Amino acid sequence: MRNEIELEGIIEDYLNGKLSEAEATAFEQLRLNDPTVDHKVVAHKVFLDSLKDYASNLDLKNKMDHAHDQIDVDALSKKLGPHPSFIVNLWRKNKSAIAVAASFILLTVVTIYSIQQTTEQTGSYKQMSAELSKLKSSTSNLIREVKSSQTTKAAVKPVKFGGTGFAISSNGYILTSYHVIEKSDSIYVQNSKGDMYKVDITYKDPTNDIAILKIIDKNFSLASLPYSLKKGRVGMGESVYTLGYPKDDIVFGKGYLSSQSGFNGDTLAYQVSLDVNPGNSGGPLLDNNGNIIGIINAKESYTDGATFAVKAKFLQEALSSIPQDSVVGKISSVRKSQLYKLEPSKQLSKVQEYVFMVKGYN
Amino acid sequence: MSNKLSSSVPTDREVVLGVLNNSEEALNKLYTGYFPMILQFILNNNGDEDDAKDVYQEGIIVLYNKIKSGDFELSSKLKTYIYSVCRRIWLKKLAQQSKKTNNISDFEDVIAIDEDVEQHEEKDRQFDKMQEALLHLGEPCKTIIQDFYINNLSMQEICEKFGYTNTDNAKTQKYKCLQRLKKLFFQS
Repeated sequence: MRNEIELEGIIEDYLNGKLSEAEATAFEQLRLNDPTVDHKVVAHKVFLDSLKDYASNLDLKNKMDHAHDQIDVDALSKKLGPHPSFIVNLWRKNKSAIAVAASFILLTVVTIYSIQQTTEQTGSYKQMSAELSKLKSSTSNLIREVKSSQTTKAAVKPVKFGGTGFAISSNGYILTSYHVIEKSDSIYVQNSKGDMYKVDITYKDPTNDIAILKIIDKNFSLASLPYSLKKGRVGMGESVYTLGYPKDDIVFGKGYLSSQSGFNGDTLAYQVSLDVNPGNSGGPLLDNNGNIIGIINAKESYTDGATFAVKAKFLQEALSSIPQDSVVGKISSVRKSQLYKLEPSKQLSKVQEYVFMVKGYN
Repeated sequence: MSNKLSSSVPTDREVVLGVLNNSEEALNKLYTGYFPMILQFILNNNGDEDDAKDVYQEGIIVLYNKIKSGDFELSSKLKTYIYSVCRRIWLKKLAQQSKKTNNISDFEDVIAIDEDVEQHEEKDRQFDKMQEALLHLGEPCKTIIQDFYINNLSMQEICEKFGYTNTDNAKTQKYKCLQRLKKLFFQS
């Protein structure tokens, strides 16, 4: 123990250069001869160096603390620190993140909005029966007076409602939209040549918007119907056309089937891209092969070219309501249409004889 | 040094000479001269005044060791060196606290000082180890060791201060204390 203490004293003196030259030489000799002594010297040196570093660092820190105390840190922070407003800081630090978030939100909103636009047809629904103005009706009355002697009675009263209908049998059963005739108490139909016939309502179906009229004149008859009824599914994008009376003359309209469902997803109807006007209601919707696939009944008010047509398969119920023995040459859903593979213009000239203007008076 | 901000800071040469001569005045000038720059940096990057003080003092220690080791060349401005070192130290602390270290707002040029900072970190560990060891040593050993090795008191003075009957007793006590301290230091 005693020796150890003395040895350490000597090592310290040696490291600090306090030994005389002779003592130092003797001690170095001892280090060379005795590895344990040498090891102790090295270890002690390392340790003392660490201790010195520690001491100088501590000293430096104390001095710096002293210097630090002379600085008015609060005043400096106010001058140099970030803006005191939390919002401004947040903005400064996260400019890019906020920009990304904002554009993402914007994009999401736009996307959702556009999806809603397409899924919810928010535009109102406008039925296509024409409530003709008095001016227009007076001109049409004139035409009728010239062309038909039978309609002198009707000519006195102005036409209130107008639409389109088409023959579903050769002996005068005519199909139209219910809303065309719903407010009328006396109804006439007029063919493309301008002949007018009085009709009775034989069937009303407000749900499917279908009505069937019967020409009272017993002598009325048509050649067998050129078109047939297509109750099966019609593919999207299929070309379709319609004939109707938005004015006093028959008008042809062409388009394509744009959706299997109608207004707000109504499965009773198709949506077709076809321009129609008031007066087209009740008109037949035909495909290129001359099959009737539906009845035009409405369009969306604020969207162009979105027209709705009741699907042909819902006509079946209406057809079966007619007293079967009174029907001659009923429209068929089995027989192939006579118009099959006929040129469009030829189809039209045939079909137009079977499309009538429906006029309602009350 | 013509611009206004620099007028309050010592010239780079002044600082280097002052550090080599252990001049306290030079240290004060250096310290007060560059502290605002670091304070601005820390405050604008998720730190407060205390963080600024810690980081800045570490930065100055790095500079001191660099100058004292003798291989300090004025390849860049002292200002840039201090800024880069402190920036590096602060980024590391931020990363340790798992705060985000992107979007750092910079106010000065930055140079590469990785090596110096790494060396400093090693020394800093030694410093912490020694501090820890001294803390565990307890009294009166801690004071005896500090008085002898740090404050450079003689054995005679220590003997009187602690009331030992003779220097041999004091020496024995110092020896025991140092053995324990070594043990604590090398073991930790």
